[in-house]
Amino acid sequence: MSGLEAIFLSHRDALLRFLRAHGAGDAAEDVLHELWLKLQAAQTGPIASPTGYLYRAANNLMLDRYRAERQSSLRDRAWSEAAGPVVPDRSEDPSPERALIARETLAAADAALATVGERAARIFRRHRIDNVAQKAIAAEMGLSLSTVEADLRKAMRALIDARRRIDEA
Amino acid sequence: MTGQDGVEQAALDWATRTGDPAFAEWETFAAWLEADPRHAAAYHAISAEVAEMTEAVAALPAEPTQREGTPRRPDPRRWMAGALAASLVATVGIGAWERRAQPYAVETADGTTRTIALADGSSIALNGGTKLVLDRRDTRLARLERGEALFSVRHDAARPFRVDVGQDRLVDIGTVFDVTHAPGVTRVAVGEGAVIFNPEGEKVRLDAGRALRSGADGVVVSDVAAHSVGGWRSGRLDYDGAPLREVAADVARALGRPITVAPDLAERPFRGTIQLDGITRDPAGLGALVGARMQRAGQGWEIVATP
Repeated sequence: MSGLEAIFLSHRDALLRFLRAHGAGDAAEDVLHELWLKLQAAQTGPIASPTGYLYRAANNLMLDRYRAERQSSLRDRAWSEAAGPVVPDRSEDPSPERALIARETLAAADAALATVGERAARIFRRHRIDNVAQKAIAAEMGLSLSTVEADLRKAMRALIDARRRIDEA
Repeated sequence: MTGQDGVEQAALDWATRTGDPAFAEWETFAAWLEADPRHAAAYHAISAEVAEMTEAVAALPAEPTQREGTPRRPDPRRWMAGALAASLVATVGIGAWERRAQPYAVETADGTTRTIALADGSSIALNGGTKLVLDRRDTRLARLERGEALFSVRHDAARPFRVDVGQDRLVDIGTVFDVTHAPGVTRVAVGEGAVIFNPEGEKVRLDAGRALRSGADGVVVSDVAAHSVGGWRSGRLDYDGAPLREVAADVARALGRPITVAPDLAERPFRGTIQLDGITRDPAGLGALVGARMQRAGQGWEIVATP
């Protein structure tokens, strides 16, 4: 048994509680089992903070579940609205790329980032796309950590609001 | 009890903090989630919305669209930042602030893939180890410098999509096509529609289900299963007589591990399908598949003849 598996077992109850707090309800045991399988499948090297790694993996699983539900309900809506601009599978479109991002979403993301200023937009990209830690970005750009956090919140707020305007339209 | 706005703000705050790879206060976060079921609901919604928009931002050109007449100063830090990003790197090409061509490069490291959505609805999927140069001014032009890309192009007869690769040019006729470029060799396979290879030169028309190989020995056209074109995106590589060295280069790109081929096997043709899943779990399995043996070599493997 790997060190990570041992830590999983000793944190089993705490992780289960975490999943329930995430609203997993009756599915919490199943999700925990899924997490266990994923840990065994992932061939990882030494992990600096195994407890944090487990919580993050559990957190990601819950976010994935929520996203999958959300996307299937959005897709159902898109289908029932029939000839929307981005209904996939229309035969005239060369679209093996089913997950093609709708053009309106691209435009909305572009516009939203333009409203938060260049620095916040850059911090957002560095953090969310290049996956650089907030502290490293602060060092790289000569800013305080709280400024980086505040910029990130601002960029995320603008993107969330833009997303909601699309969803409500 | 906190009002809905307070919940929303707190959720955004937690989403910002938990999004940091260095975040460590999971127990405090768990306690916040437990305090009220609305907390998890708000956190999930915000995280999903940010994730969706992040995908959109990732598909945008690396810099916001530049306004006419306001040239942007190149930021030297951006270059360094690009060089530092480990998995995928999007850097701004030389001359991005010039008025005419505004090229920018999109690169993937070995073992990673990325899909770029273009403003006209076309999309380009990049396999690992690929460098593609696009132009902000001319969005119907791409240059494949190395690696492999699957183009799904929205056809516009007035503005055909062109792909420059090595010394060659491809022009689409309403199309899904895959292009691979390594020094001295270009391969093209068409999944839907048609492509013209070198309209100013050989002018070879490739319809769906046709493939072309251009190398030192000239241009050779062959058949390919149209549905298998771009199969690497689902972890499937199909070959019909490609030399082993090309097969090895494809697998190496997908896995992010160097794979070389012993000189006596390099030109041996391979027919068959490779499932990358299996190879990821067990790289040695590739040997049996191609009728050879895998031998550890540095960080990767060498394909050698079975004794």
